[in-house]
Amino acid sequence: MSPLRSTEIAAAELPGYERLGASIEPAPAGEVRLRVGAPAFAGAARVMQEGGARFVSMFLADTPERSLIAAFALRGELILVRAPTGPDAVFESVGRWWPAASWPERELAELHDVNFRGEDHIYRSRLTAPDADFVGREVSGLDVFSIPYGPVRSGIFEAIQFHIETGGEDVPRIHTRPFFKHRGMEARFQGLAPDAAVHVAERVAGIASCAYASCFSQAVERALGIQAPQRAERWRAVYCELERMACHLDVIAKEAETTALYVGQARFQILKEQIMRLRARLTGNRFGRGMILPGGVRGEGMMSLDEVLAALDVFERELRRDRRMFLGTTSMTDRLVGSGHLERRLVEEYGAVGPLARGSGLSTDARHERPYGNYTRLGLRVVSERDADAMARVKVRFGELSESLRILRQTIDHLRRRDGDLQTQLDSTAGAACGWVEAPQGELVMWVELTQGTVRRVHIASPSLRNWALFDHAFPKDVLTDFAFIEHSFGLTPAGADR
Amino acid sequence: MLEWILRGLGQGRITTRYPAKPEPPPAGYHGSIDVLDTKNAPSTLQLVCPTGAISVDQQGDLDLDRGRCILCGECVRRAPERFAFRSRYETASRSRAALVIDGQDHQPLQQTREALGEQARMLRRSIHVRHIDCGSDGSEEWEIQALWNPYYDIQRLGYFLTNAPRHADILLVTGGVTNPMHSPLQRTWEVMPDPKALIAVGTDACSGGLAAGSGLTGGGVDTVLPVDVYVPGSPPAPIAIMHSLLLATGVIADSKVAA
Repeated sequence: MSPLRSTEIAAAELPGYERLGASIEPAPAGEVRLRVGAPAFAGAARVMQEGGARFVSMFLADTPERSLIAAFALRGELILVRAPTGPDAVFESVGRWWPAASWPERELAELHDVNFRGEDHIYRSRLTAPDADFVGREVSGLDVFSIPYGPVRSGIFEAIQFHIETGGEDVPRIHTRPFFKHRGMEARFQGLAPDAAVHVAERVAGIASCAYASCFSQAVERALGIQAPQRAERWRAVYCELERMACHLDVIAKEAETTALYVGQARFQILKEQIMRLRARLTGNRFGRGMILPGGVRGEGMMSLDEVLAALDVFERELRRDRRMFLGTTSMTDRLVGSGHLERRLVEEYGAVGPLARGSGLSTDARHERPYGNYTRLGLRVVSERDADAMARVKVRFGELSESLRILRQTIDHLRRRDGDLQTQLDSTAGAACGWVEAPQGELVMWVELTQGTVRRVHIASPSLRNWALFDHAFPKDVLTDFAFIEHSFGLTPAGADR
Repeated sequence: MLEWILRGLGQGRITTRYPAKPEPPPAGYHGSIDVLDTKNAPSTLQLVCPTGAISVDQQGDLDLDRGRCILCGECVRRAPERFAFRSRYETASRSRAALVIDGQDHQPLQQTREALGEQARMLRRSIHVRHIDCGSDGSEEWEIQALWNPYYDIQRLGYFLTNAPRHADILLVTGGVTNPMHSPLQRTWEVMPDPKALIAVGTDACSGGLAAGSGLTGGGVDTVLPVDVYVPGSPPAPIAIMHSLLLATGVIADSKVAA
């Protein structure tokens, strides 16, 4: 085995590490894989928590043997703690003391019959097969009532349900119920060749198609020990940054709509539509689908690079004016400032990611923490705000729009300067690895296993699911009418969360 | 606020004139797939399609079911002499069978654009639309929302969004209907007053799409409720959805005449 990398030594220096009896297994760069026995699994998670790690996900794997894996992000590496499972393996619950692990544990227990001891969920309903009519608990008190909002929403929104307990104004408690849209997308990957499976990846969360396709492709490439050509990585960055811009503009337009700033709403919808049309001309699809595949990209964009740059110039001029006016409209900002305050401590406990975490003073960004693809060659300015309210999350998105434009210009410049290959052959047929990207909603991690040239198992740690658990805590001092502002400031997609 | 108003007026008209005038998609837009040659197809072509939209019978005659097609382009890459992307928006149809094409596109366009616009006027420009998500991938919602943006502005044709199904004339359904969404979908449809129309938006809603067959999501909306208009596409573009709304208005107009 290769000599220990510096972070593996760092892992070994974690307080309590020697008690684990963990053995280090070979892994592709950027991952550290530790193997422990089932009884030591929860203890290992405790060591990770004390060492300052962020919980990413927990899932079942079949490579090299049937195991339960917990993934943590720590000091620029992804740490996978693996414990073999058997029919009678019982694990101590991690979610009992680490809220970030609560939903993944419930999902594993319900869908895969993994036994967790001590797992306790206040709502006795199933998480993964929700019943729209289920009332979780009775509320009592003067004029207090519980509103089940969803899964049929008001407006054009995806299906999700919120149980809002309120006396009409204050919101003492909210409970979020996802999984109305659980389509079994992870299982859909099974048995497909990687280049066919990427179509499934694109349709897990449709508004982040490019991010999901890139993430899946990178996981396959890492599992097979190959790398996409530089030019392909640059094209991927172009598609992913355009997608980020469309998603951020969508959030801003929706915030303008909820504050009844209709001209502002129209302006940001126009900007978003310009990006959608640019993508349609560049790729033939308004969501940029069909371009990214494992090993590279399918082809060059269908517009000349000069045309793309010209379109971005026009776009940026308009965006600057609209941003200045938007941030200067007090009837708008007053509603956002102070709404949906999320303490940094909570955000860390729940392992939240993306603009949500960056709005609460964290600097988690997969492009910066564990640079991949084109981002290893670019300096990235991580946009972070400290105010931790809905306004901070909107400001983060404005900052990232500018940063995306900068990345696009730089990348297009590189694309113009030299030519190169677009695809690498997938020559080996088996392996397992994690891939990650920063999707518009936050860090996305996928675990992909391949055998005999087809996909055997996929796990998706979606940013939407990880951030949504935090929604229950987003109303510390807010009233019912703030609901829409706070929900839009999260900017998540149920399709990605439910898979 | 004055600044916003001036800003709003500054750009002039950007709204499409569809359906009075055609709205051509950009060159190279992947709107639908055409079959160029249906004869003597090898049966292995069926395996190319991830959703089973291609079928070849014993005589070697080839069918493409657009209601299942997710526009991934695998067939175009594998057999460019038989399949080609076509840049077009108006893919909606009032019957599921008409989405299955054998050969050149001789699917009759039920009504011309002008006639469709006429129907919208006949209903006094007051049609209320309600949407329900039954397991889409989230992109169809974006495209439906886009109808109310300044580029498409469907309110100019008299289509309004309503939150109450009891006020709705048209129900837009996205997704292949996951198990937990079965009963909310049925209840939403039941409380809508007659005459009413249901549109299946996107390939997932038309046939279940890629996610079908998992046991967690069904094979399209028409396995649960009768569908009046199908809009295939993954996802269909805003103009395609606008076209489907105009077709659905025809359904309502027809039933008004019958009543």
